[in-house]
Amino acid sequence: MVSKRFFLKRLLLLVPVLFGVATLVFAILHLSPGDPAKVIAGQRATAEQVAAVRTELGLNDPIWVQYGRYLFDIVTLNLGDSYIVRKGVPVLTILRARLPVTLELALYGQLLGILFGIPLGVLSAVKQDTITDHLTRVGALTGISVPIYWSGPLLILLFAQFLGLLPASGRIASAYDVPVYTGLITLDSLVYALSGGGFGAFQSAISHMLLPAAVIGVYSMALISRMMRSSMLEVVRQDYMRTARAKGQGAKITIMKHGFRNATIPVITVIGIQFGTLLGGAVLTETVFGIGGIGTLLVNAIEVGDYPLVQGTVLVFAFLFTLVNLGVDLTYSYLDPRIEQ
Amino acid sequence: MFESRLRLVGSALAVGLVVGAGGLVFAILALGSVRDASETMFVLGALAFGFGLLGWSGSILAANSVEAMQEHLDAASGWTEQNSRRAMARIGSFGFGVMVGSAVATVALGGV
Repeated sequence: MVSKRFFLKRLLLLVPVLFGVATLVFAILHLSPGDPAKVIAGQRATAEQVAAVRTELGLNDPIWVQYGRYLFDIVTLNLGDSYIVRKGVPVLTILRARLPVTLELALYGQLLGILFGIPLGVLSAVKQDTITDHLTRVGALTGISVPIYWSGPLLILLFAQFLGLLPASGRIASAYDVPVYTGLITLDSLVYALSGGGFGAFQSAISHMLLPAAVIGVYSMALISRMMRSSMLEVVRQDYMRTARAKGQGAKITIMKHGFRNATIPVITVIGIQFGTLLGGAVLTETVFGIGGIGTLLVNAIEVGDYPLVQGTVLVFAFLFTLVNLGVDLTYSYLDPRIEQ
Repeated sequence: MFESRLRLVGSALAVGLVVGAGGLVFAILALGSVRDASETMFVLGALAFGFGLLGWSGSILAANSVEAMQEHLDAASGWTEQNSRRAMARIGSFGFGVMVGSAVATVALGGV
C-alpha cells in the first residue's frame, strides 16, 4: 500500500514542475522571432493598427506584468483565447475538442506497446540466445530505429493501398455520425453501439485507429521488450529464483510469480518516460494519417506566434506527462515498498 | 543547514541581481531601446529560472533513482542528488535575480 506521506510529497512536487514548465514556455516564446500583433492585424495594417492590437492584447505592458498575468491566469485555469489560429476561441475549448484525439492515439500506442512488448521481452529472456531471442532483438532494434514519418506512409501503402484492408486516414467513416461523449472516438462509438446504434461505427473507429496506433506502438513495443529482456535476464540470475527452483517449483511459475514482478519495475519507468515520447509521436502520426488532433494545431500556432495556444498546449502536455509519472512512482512503491524509503 | 541553504540561494540571487542590472545597460547599448533590452534580459533570466526550477524539482523526483542506477551499473561518476539539487537551486536563484534585477533597473532608468 502506498503511504499518504509519499503520495502527498509526490503530488506537491508537481507544483514546481509545472511552474518551471510554464516559465520556460513563456521565456522561449518571447525569445522566438515574430510579433503576434502584426500577424493579427494583417499585412496591410498600419503602425497605429498594430499598436492598437498590441495594447488590446496587453503586449505593451512591461514584461514582468505580462509574466505575472500569465501565471495568475494559469493558476485560475484561464489559458486565454487563441490570438490567430482560432481567433477569439478560448484555448481550453480548443484543447477540450482536440486533445482527446491525440490522447487516444497515444494511449492505444502505449497499450499495443505494453501488450506486445512485455511478453516478447520475457520470451526473449527465457529463450536467451535462441532463434526466438535473436528475432525479437532484431525486431526491437528495427522498431526503435525506424522513424514514424517513414513507417507511417509505408504501412498506408501496404495495408490501405495494396491490400485494401484498412483505411488510410481519418478517425471514422463519413457514413457514421457518432455523438460526442468523451471525444475518444472508439469509446464514443462503443457507447453509441451499446445504446442501440449498431456496431458498424465502432468497427469503423477501430479499423481507423489500427494503423496509426501500430505505427506509434511499434516504437514503444521495441523499447519495452528490450528493457523487459535485460531486466528479466538480471532477475532470473538472482538467488531467490534459484532457491524457488531448488524447492521444486516449476520454471514457468517461478518466472511468472517471482521474476516477473521484480523485473517489471524498471520497465514501468520506461513506460512512464515513453508516454511523453508517444505524445510527441502522436503529433507526428496525426499529420501522416490526417487525423485532426493537437499536432497540426500546435505547429500552426508556433508558426504564427499564437502565444496562448502554444502555452496552453505545452502546459497541458506537461501536466499529463507529470501525472503519468506520478502514476509510475505510485506503481513503483506498490511493487517494491522499499522505494518509499 | 538552513544558513548554508540561505547562503547558496542568496549569493546566486545577488549575482543575478547585479548581472540583470548590469546586463540591461549592455543590452540597451546593443539593442538601442530600453523596452527591448528589458524584455530580453527579463526573458533570459526567466529561462534560467524556469530551467533551475524544473531541474530542482526533477532532482528531488528522480535523482535518487539515477544515482542508485549509476552505482548499480558500476558507473558512478560522483554525481549525487544533493549536488544536482544545489546546482539547480543556484541556477534558479540566479535566473530569478536576473529577472528582478532587470525589472528594477528598467524602472530606475525610467523605461516604464
